[in-house]
Amino acid sequence: MVWVSSPWKIALMVFPAFILFTAFFIYPVVYAGGYSLTDAAGFSGAEFVGLDNYLALAEDSFFRRSVTNTLLILVLSVTFLVPASFGLALLMQQRVRAAGALRALLFGPAIVAPILVGLVWVFILDPRVGLLNHLLEPLGVPPVQWIGSDSLAPYSIAVVFIWASVGFAMTIFYAGLRLLPAEVMEASSLDGASGWQQLRYVTIPMMRETIGIVSLLLITNVFKIFELVYMLTGGGPVHSSETLVSYMYFVTFTDQRYGSGMTIAMVVFVIGALTSLAYLALSRRGRLA
Amino acid sequence: MPTPPGRRAPRRRGRRPAIIISAAAYLITFLVVLPILWITLLSFQQSDTILSDPFALDSLTLDNYRNALETLPLVRMYANTIIIAVASVTVGTAVSFMVSFALTRMVFRRRRTQSFLRFYLLSGLAVPVYVLLFPVYRLDLALGIYGTYLAVVIPYIAVSIPFNTLLLTGFLRDFPSELEEAAIMDGAGLFRICWSVVLPAMRPILATIVIFNVVYVFNEFPFVSILINDPDLATVSLAVSRFQGQYTVDYGGMMAAATLVLLPQLAIYAVFQRHVIAGLTAGAVKG
Repeated sequence: MVWVSSPWKIALMVFPAFILFTAFFIYPVVYAGGYSLTDAAGFSGAEFVGLDNYLALAEDSFFRRSVTNTLLILVLSVTFLVPASFGLALLMQQRVRAAGALRALLFGPAIVAPILVGLVWVFILDPRVGLLNHLLEPLGVPPVQWIGSDSLAPYSIAVVFIWASVGFAMTIFYAGLRLLPAEVMEASSLDGASGWQQLRYVTIPMMRETIGIVSLLLITNVFKIFELVYMLTGGGPVHSSETLVSYMYFVTFTDQRYGSGMTIAMVVFVIGALTSLAYLALSRRGRLA
Repeated sequence: MPTPPGRRAPRRRGRRPAIIISAAAYLITFLVVLPILWITLLSFQQSDTILSDPFALDSLTLDNYRNALETLPLVRMYANTIIIAVASVTVGTAVSFMVSFALTRMVFRRRRTQSFLRFYLLSGLAVPVYVLLFPVYRLDLALGIYGTYLAVVIPYIAVSIPFNTLLLTGFLRDFPSELEEAAIMDGAGLFRICWSVVLPAMRPILATIVIFNVVYVFNEFPFVSILINDPDLATVSLAVSRFQGQYTVDYGGMMAAATLVLLPQLAIYAVFQRHVIAGLTAGAVKG
């Protein structure tokens, strides 16, 4: 519409978003990249140190632990969540009374602030006041350190993440299942396909893109797990339950080693960019794009 | 047609399975809701009962709520959060709409500029916000807005632009421009076209965007934990993060406070349920 496209009108429409986005999004990313090459810490000045921070990071055992924890949570949650939420979506398709209400309840955790999710789960997992140990006590199980010890904490965080995500993932699968052409499903039933055969040879192949999208969304979300760690373990004991971003937060804001913190931020940045590229490739091909 | 022997009619399949399926669906839903039920129960329990016999139903009390309402600046927490949400979501949606209109409707002298600009804004979708925390903290300090509402409002606007632009340009591309052209023929200017012709037609997608962003702002913690230090300006999320320090061993009080934060959220969700679900899954289904 060339009539309303004088240069100053275009500028008027573009500049507010452009300036806000450049100043508070793009510039910070560049700034973080620059800081990752300095030894900035506390109130002292920053000196250029090249890639020293990156090399030091490879030696940092807490950082390594945060990477292993994040990957552990990633593997646990994705391998469990994708089939479980897919199955749940299939379940919700069956004739269940008040299925709509059940779906709404299952989605509920997705709208609760992560920080509040963390607080709620303190009262499930806490060795002394938590529900879990209260339930296990009559069975003769001695109190388990779900979040106080370094061995179980990452698993517990994965469980809480699964709780918070399962309804969300189920909802996307459910929407995908409803988009499947009814004729194809009917045709396969008429051809005598059993429920299992239909699932295996019709439903799952047709849902492949949705499965990919849900998996990538969950992966992206695992790399954003922060509040759960903050509330449940504070990253401890001695940084044994940190995730990538919670450790970055600690190094940057608690320890005030800005250079090292921004180096971890750059690792987070690269992972984010890679998962987004995968997402893009997938949804370009997918019908849902 | 009679069913051939040895082959069951498909319709009769599943009286028993139907019950099992329903039972499974209800059981799973119950397990998901259980944590919420648990903290609600604890919120009516005295703190020493929580340690000794949390399942006791004979000692329930409202004291925790009385205590929580006295110690918790509920009104201020919500007022802060609503001020920040309204400011950032209004401005964020407005500027995203303006740039999306320019990207899909206006004629740039060079087309390349237009497609580059869209790519530039959408590139933000690939960046985890955690990367921005420290630089934005420094930026807020340099601009002298650290510790004010603006300290979080501006980054919230900035991080909402990529997703808003993705949805809005997607919608506008599929949306015919005949009405707008007709309005131009009638002598309408740019502002009239946007305000009276395009925006009314975009209500559903605007609702999606507003819901998505409001939920984000309400639940956001990393930014606010760094950029707001004054307890008087604390949002709901920030206040909740301090419950453990504030209530220490007053578990009942803590749970009452948590329930007081949770219930309004769940109530609003119950009312706008369909829109909320559509809004929060829009990224996955349309992105």
